Amino acid sequence: MPITIRYVAALRDRMGRAEDVLDLPCGIADSEALVAHLRATLPEADMLAHPSVRLIRNNDIVPRPAPIEDGDVVAFCPPFTGG
Amino acid sequence: MARIDTAIVETDIDPGAELGALAGQHENDGGIASFTGQVRAEPGLLALELEHYPGVTGKVLETIARTAARRWPLSQAVIRHRVGRMDIGTPIVFVAASAPHRREALDAVGYMIDMLKTEAPFWKRAHTETGSNWIEAVADDRKAADFWMGQIASEDA
Repeated sequence: MPITIRYVAALRDRMGRAEDVLDLPCGIADSEALVAHLRATLPEADMLAHPSVRLIRNNDIVPRPAPIEDGDVVAFCPPFTGG
Repeated sequence: MARIDTAIVETDIDPGAELGALAGQHENDGGIASFTGQVRAEPGLLALELEHYPGVTGKVLETIARTAARRWPLSQAVIRHRVGRMDIGTPIVFVAASAPHRREALDAVGYMIDMLKTEAPFWKRAHTETGSNWIEAVADDRKAADFWMGQIASEDA
């Protein structure tokens, strides 16, 4: 199941890259299963589990947990600080 | 139907011109309120850089303005938000509303700026004399947005 994972702003700096394109194993149906998978494979991904991290799925801000489907673009975002 | 006008801009915002554009547009308007946020001088700060999430931010700004226009009897709701690098004193955000009475316009502006700070995907990076760092979210901003969401939820109930 290919998906694109984006790391935004401070998370991009801390991950050391802007995105990963991954072929996920079957059975990862939502954002929290995705985070668990990332944490198991990428030690720097622990921060993605923090409750303050917001999720943008295919250009919509969505609450966690959010369903994940084949071909999704999922962005992990630190808390917003505009204005 | 209120005039909703929101934009993400890469060039300087002119708050005076933006506010002037709301004046005299609707004979039922008794009040026009606005808020301008600008880059505040801090020790060692050289500039702020605003990043956003293209494809999402514009939709969120429009939703915030439309929600304000449903909640209060606005004739105009305007949001401008800068992105990119800004020197000290540069306007970052301009929010304005016009309505029959001052309280409606003032509350709508308060709602829009408070919601924008926590619900629109912008991130600030400070460039200082010693490097750069991402600015962290402020807990009071979350409380301010929660206040308005509670207000609207109780009125919709």
